[in-house]
Amino acid sequence: MSLPDLLHGLLFDFTLRTVALGAAVLGALAGALGCFAVLRQQSLLGDAISHAALPGIVLAFVLTGSRATPVLVLGAGIAGWIGTLAVMAIVRGGRLPEDTALGIVLSVFFGFGMVLLTWVQGRPDARQAGLDTFLFGQAATVLPGDVALVAGVGSVAGLITILFWKEFKLLTFDPDYATALGLPLRRVDFLLTGLLVVAIVLGLQMVGVVLMSALVVAPAAAARQWTDSLRTMVLLAAVIGAGAGVTGAAISATARGVPTGPTIVLVASAVVAFSLLAAPRRGLVAEMLRSARVRRRIRADAMLMDLYALSRQHVEPGHPHPVATLQAMSGRERGVSASLRSLEARGWAVHTEGDRAEHAAGRLPGASSDRHWAITEAGRIRARQLLETGVGPRPGPGEPAEPGSPEVPA
Amino acid sequence: MTAMDLEVQIMAVVVAVACALPGCFLVLRRMALLSDAISHSILLGIVLAFFWVRDLASPVLILAAAVTGVVTVALVEALHATRRVKEDAAIALVFPALFSVAVLLIARHAGDVHLDVDAVLLGELAFAPLRRFSWNGVDLGPKTLWVMGAILLLNAAFLGLFYKELKLSTFDRGLSAALGFSPAVVQYAFMSTVSVTAVGAFDAVGSILVVALMIAPPAAARLLTHRLPLLLLLSAVFAAASALLGFQVALWLDASIAGCMAVATGVLFTGALLLAPDRGVLARLVVRRRQRVEFAGLMLSIHLLNHEGTPRAPEENRLGHLPEHLRWSDDFALRVARHAEREGLLTRSGDGRLDLTPLGREAARHLMVR
Amino acid sequence: MERADRGARRGDASGAAIEVNDLTVAYREQPVLWDVDVAFRKGVLTAIVGPNGAGKTTLIQSILGLVRPAAGRIRILGQPVREGRRSVAYVPQRGSVDWDFPTSVLDVVTMGTYGRLGWIRRPGRRERAAAMEALGKVGMEAFEGRQIRQLSGGQQQRVFLARALVQDAPIYLMDEPFQGVDARTEAAIVEVLGDLRARGDTVIAVHHALQSVPEYFDDVVLLNVRRIASGPVQEVFTEANLRTCYGGRVPFLQAVTERPAPATGRPATGRPEDAPPP
Repeated sequence: MSLPDLLHGLLFDFTLRTVALGAAVLGALAGALGCFAVLRQQSLLGDAISHAALPGIVLAFVLTGSRATPVLVLGAGIAGWIGTLAVMAIVRGGRLPEDTALGIVLSVFFGFGMVLLTWVQGRPDARQAGLDTFLFGQAATVLPGDVALVAGVGSVAGLITILFWKEFKLLTFDPDYATALGLPLRRVDFLLTGLLVVAIVLGLQMVGVVLMSALVVAPAAAARQWTDSLRTMVLLAAVIGAGAGVTGAAISATARGVPTGPTIVLVASAVVAFSLLAAPRRGLVAEMLRSARVRRRIRADAMLMDLYALSRQHVEPGHPHPVATLQAMSGRERGVSASLRSLEARGWAVHTEGDRAEHAAGRLPGASSDRHWAITEAGRIRARQLLETGVGPRPGPGEPAEPGSPEVPA
Repeated sequence: MTAMDLEVQIMAVVVAVACALPGCFLVLRRMALLSDAISHSILLGIVLAFFWVRDLASPVLILAAAVTGVVTVALVEALHATRRVKEDAAIALVFPALFSVAVLLIARHAGDVHLDVDAVLLGELAFAPLRRFSWNGVDLGPKTLWVMGAILLLNAAFLGLFYKELKLSTFDRGLSAALGFSPAVVQYAFMSTVSVTAVGAFDAVGSILVVALMIAPPAAARLLTHRLPLLLLLSAVFAAASALLGFQVALWLDASIAGCMAVATGVLFTGALLLAPDRGVLARLVVRRRQRVEFAGLMLSIHLLNHEGTPRAPEENRLGHLPEHLRWSDDFALRVARHAEREGLLTRSGDGRLDLTPLGREAARHLMVR
Repeated sequence: MERADRGARRGDASGAAIEVNDLTVAYREQPVLWDVDVAFRKGVLTAIVGPNGAGKTTLIQSILGLVRPAAGRIRILGQPVREGRRSVAYVPQRGSVDWDFPTSVLDVVTMGTYGRLGWIRRPGRRERAAAMEALGKVGMEAFEGRQIRQLSGGQQQRVFLARALVQDAPIYLMDEPFQGVDARTEAAIVEVLGDLRARGDTVIAVHHALQSVPEYFDDVVLLNVRRIASGPVQEVFTEANLRTCYGGRVPFLQAVTERPAPATGRPATGRPEDAPPP
């Protein structure tokens, strides 16, 4: 290997390492704090904050002439915070719905940012070059100092989250109860929203203002599917955010001309899609399997009731009946045998071979199967239970309701 | 002013008004942020259609983009329907993903697609006059003007034809369904027009500023009127004014026209928020100040009525008691009592006792049986 | 477990747990409560009844400082709301939270200890033990680890009740605790109410089912924007008062007022402070 190649490799690797570290810290921070935003149904507040940060970035540059990351991040933070206050002011002062307020703030602030950006670009000042990487993010512009900043501020934010964990949880779950307990709601809200602003503006350099909100929402939405504990959700979202950050940043840093933000967002979105489908309890696949099982059980119960009704018409309760009769009663052509077999497995029905003599005499309609089925004594007890309670005893106290169906009365 | 400037200005007004009309219903139906989602995700439709037809001028692009917009809405609703995520999160998950795919496709095939990131975010209103529409060699004006003019007419026609259905399904979904206008059909028809509008405007002002044009003028108008026809009219006026104002500022600053238009909508909205005669912040402050005394006077009448004839009346119904129990300052209590006396609701005795007049009694009773 | 608030309860000479004077609350310049005067007696179960939009929930929320009154004075055990609400345990309406929140039954109940814990301190073994004890009182200890979405409506209501019990406060404010619950939950709540009364605690509950007012409660407040009547059930819960309160549209009015007075011989006044539990 020639020396220039080695040097290039080392340099390249160093950049990659820097970028990956920054993306990991940032993804973890955004993912963890995003959980609170998603649970408070403020997913789109992040979108407004990140868009509102753009004029702050450009103004910070115009006022200081510096492109140092801390300066720009400070500008972004102030503008993002003003955007949040503007949303509140429009909702309270104008009595307009929140989505309208968010839409106005994100688009008007962003428009102002673009005005400033195009205005700055029109001036003969070479230093402004590269400000527009804040639109979609560019991992390659991240320097070791930036990573130190992200890591430093991120640790403080993480520490605050740990310290005020129980306050944040209570505020998110039941704000009225929190107030009744004497919690200073406004101050806690201020703190939590402030942390969200910090997480968002730190990510702008790498992910960009346009897509940063996705890095806040996606890890939280994915993590929610795997757990029912807030702590696990926050930790998992941090891991997913970090993973998406590193993967996206690495892809973008190795391929030329690929903006980092969209890459990270796509990785995170893929994790969301996978989680929605495959999570063990809340996953859609798991639910499909579960509802198929429930359907089968309902069909088997109905079959049992049919058998029970037949047995009551007959002098001899254990008299077997042909499948065709049961098919006619249930109105189903297919699946009858499966239902009967599942009843048999639970000891509620037994089968005998068909009575060929009756068949031959033509007293029975043409049966598709020779088997005859009869209800057992246990089956009769079960059928009577079903009749009395309407559903029959369920396994365990209050079988879990459908996942994702909160009982919220209007 | 050059002919080109004039053309740009006319186009800006047409785009703004075309966006504001459906925007009114977006605001009323609380779907403001679906415009954000649609305006982003249509980029994917444009890019995919371009790879297919290889012609940026093809009408197929507009069609594909409009379909993508409707698909976005359907995706958001489907994701929400799984009950695994809330609606706001569903919006925030769907459009960034679709938009990211589009941006990456553009970035990877930068040489093929004559679209760059600036064009996506800002549109190309300044260059729009360069793309002419000519027929038999006769120049008929800029193409964008024709496209947006058509979309404006389409929107006006749609709102005109389905005004009743839209209004009904906006304010009372249940009744609308009961009367046989399926809210879902109305919803998707409406979302289609929003998508088509967003596609047309996308070309001129870019994906994010479409949102400003769709939401801010109707929101400003919303602060000024409760009547739907007036709301539509005012929104159109605000949109046109923002377009003209934005253009002048952009010319002066040499900055993005679309960005300036968005800021102008924000300025007009802020003006309405502060100055609207009924719902404006300032107006409400003034009214609240005046009403406070009036309201307090009525409250005092009710207080007196409640305690009239009870054993505690001599103690409760006196001026000196009010600061303690109603938490009024001495000054305010005196002001309220004087006001109420002037209005003929009560009489004051020298020792601070307050007695209702028949008129005051009547007023208090009337309020309570409300 | 210490009961820091017990002293305050004895300290107040007026005999009222909560005193509301001339309370007026307005939303957007539209009055919801007009000049309401009510004193809630100590050691007594009081129902707040009235038609929809009567301001029942608003009254509860004013006492807790969740809404700002336009005028009036509220005293909790003789203290203003900010200090006094530490002596109040709150059971909100079930629909006020998102039950899909990722948390367990025990965790929700432990939230009742957060007020005592103060800033930053975390709930430990003692707090969890208290939460388990409260869950036992409402018959829910078997569900401690369950995600709250997986509970029936009645079970959710009992979790909220347990969370309030953990607060171990002398006053309980409940917003429609019986709304839409199953018979078993209703029985559990009634039992808890009895225990609280036996301990000399004060319970104030917004209540919808007029039929059960005489059975479950000692006092009643009839509210419809203003106070229509308040006092012991036997004296105040009359057909005339109900008619005034509901504007003559009371279903079951006959049945409600013709019910015999509770046979338990419940004293109309609260138990004396130091009476031992029966």
